[in-house]
Amino acid sequence: MTGLEGKLHFNQKIQFITLSFDGVIIDTDNNLFSWPKNTSIYDAHPFFEIIKGFLENDAITQNEYSFPCIHIEEDNLERICDVSIKIDLKEIVVLLFDYTQKYNELNQIAQQKNESILKSRELQLKNEYLLEKENFKNNFIANINHEIRTPLTGIIGFTEVLEKTKLSFEQEELVRIIKRESNHLGSLIEDMVDISKIEAGQLNIINERFLFLDIVKGFKETYNRIAEEKGIDFEIIVDPNIQEYIIGDKTRVHQILNNVLNNAFKFTDEGKITFSITKNYQRTNKVSINFKITDTGIGILNKDLDEIFKRFTRVEHAKNRPGTGLGLAIVKNLVDTLHGEIKLISEPDKGSTFSINLPFQFDILKTSIPKIKKKKKYKLPSTKKKFKILLVDDEEVNQYLVMKILINHGSFYVDVAISGEQAINYIEKRFYDLVLMDLKLGVMDGYKATHIIRNHYGDKQIADVPIIGFTAKATEIEREKCLKSGMDDFISKPFEQEDLLQKIAKNIQKKTTV
Amino acid sequence: MKLSKKVVLLGHFGVGKTSLFRRFIDDAFSEDYKVTLGVQIKKKVIQLPSGIELSMVIWDTEGHQEIENTRKSYLLGSHAFIYVFDLTRKDTYINLNADIAYLKQHHPKVHIRIIGNKLDKVSEREIKKELKQESIPFDCLTSAKTNKNVSTFFNELAEELTK
Repeated sequence: MTGLEGKLHFNQKIQFITLSFDGVIIDTDNNLFSWPKNTSIYDAHPFFEIIKGFLENDAITQNEYSFPCIHIEEDNLERICDVSIKIDLKEIVVLLFDYTQKYNELNQIAQQKNESILKSRELQLKNEYLLEKENFKNNFIANINHEIRTPLTGIIGFTEVLEKTKLSFEQEELVRIIKRESNHLGSLIEDMVDISKIEAGQLNIINERFLFLDIVKGFKETYNRIAEEKGIDFEIIVDPNIQEYIIGDKTRVHQILNNVLNNAFKFTDEGKITFSITKNYQRTNKVSINFKITDTGIGILNKDLDEIFKRFTRVEHAKNRPGTGLGLAIVKNLVDTLHGEIKLISEPDKGSTFSINLPFQFDILKTSIPKIKKKKKYKLPSTKKKFKILLVDDEEVNQYLVMKILINHGSFYVDVAISGEQAINYIEKRFYDLVLMDLKLGVMDGYKATHIIRNHYGDKQIADVPIIGFTAKATEIEREKCLKSGMDDFISKPFEQEDLLQKIAKNIQKKTTV
Repeated sequence: MKLSKKVVLLGHFGVGKTSLFRRFIDDAFSEDYKVTLGVQIKKKVIQLPSGIELSMVIWDTEGHQEIENTRKSYLLGSHAFIYVFDLTRKDTYINLNADIAYLKQHHPKVHIRIIGNKLDKVSEREIKKELKQESIPFDCLTSAKTNKNVSTFFNELAEELTK
């Protein structure tokens, strides 16, 4: 190829046009487009109307203009050109440089780039939507929990009342089943609330100083009995180097270990379950403790190892065992929340080992051992024959249940108010030893009624009456809200008869000693 | 009377400038996203009730995240800018006020109109509330897909350009 041939080839990609000042094509080589001479350039393509603008108004501040990447079509053919327009005193010269190929290549790159940005934005939107949906679901579970607790309180409470009546052997058995199933339903609700709280980031971690062996002691009692019933061995091994008192969320640690132990017992029919606790390391006031639960149960297939920590997941060969598939999901979430880690090693038909590392703190300087608080048993003061209780609740089932419990006990007279207003009315007229105040009432709720009782009366007998908040919302926030509003205590539904009686006795006793 | 006016579509990429352009010029719509490189130019003649025949020459420019990156020569001799943003993508309107200020500063005589597009994908009530909260001005909310408000918008612009 000669240099001239190369130049000619290159020249074929350029079109030269000369125009008059009224836009008529004087001359052109038609290398790219076939626009006839003596016709208006404005009819060739709307792009060229820009020239009209340059000539008509005072926009001309220069005499040469460059327009890159202009799409110009003629019939069905589109070329992408850089256009140069030069205006001088005699004529207008337009040069079209055809860069279709180059621009098409660039176009592909831009297409990929923009598409990937748009795609990622789309995914982000989808994630936001899913998150919103998840939050809605978690809030829904938390709210529905309140609605389920109320009837469940009735079922458990009346079962306990029924249990104490004269029953035949068959009836006793049936009551035992109702109680067991209701308690199971209660734990299931607790699990659902826990998981929704964890996922909504609403779980409060409450660190406290506690006697480490207390946790172990509880498990020893519970699981020794189950091991005996199942005819398997259960052993607990505790590293003596672990601090006597440690700081952590005792309740959540207990919940984690209880769920894993419960799981081990559920899937082990023969052999042994070993629960060993060892100190990993300690640095300044921090200590890492390993909890290992090894069983000789049915084990888990390799492919299911990651699945079992997902909620509502029940692996195939475990489906004939009771459970909802929430326990281990809660464990995983709680371990993550406590900044720990959990590992699982398992072999089908041989057993599983759950290894959990959890961080705790301990007091370096504190050497004195606080007195171990035993759960105190409260007794009603013997000064009176009967105590007057005002129950404020608008739910008929609850009214009946509490009345039944208190009247059967024999030490109480009970009045029932169905609203905050009615409660105030009663309190003004009669003396009460204690008020059981439901929180969710009609116009005047339990908090408002408590506030009025505490702040609007000079008569101390009214203003200082012990008030126990009585609600289906079993949350820490709710407890704090009760205490802040002036209540003395709090009891959540469903409750055990004994707990209710203990709370009443405790608060009446406290008032009497004051 | 015959008039010709240059109108430039501006805004981020993927906001639907080409879809609005195609909907108005050819009454067509495609779900496929095809990037615009450089500028496509088409003309539509609008017969106005006043008897004026307006040739609206529309420049559909390639999208840019920064208005300053729009090729200056594309804006020369313009009579109106239509700033288009995507109602589903906040990033396409978060800097709108600054972009409009830039255009007003450099092209004080040019009409500026603002369109929020893809109305079919959002709740009109919700998005209006959000735009109000974010202090995002707009002249019209459109859907090139469903043809909502597109021709009305361009016809009103045509009227305005002939005043």
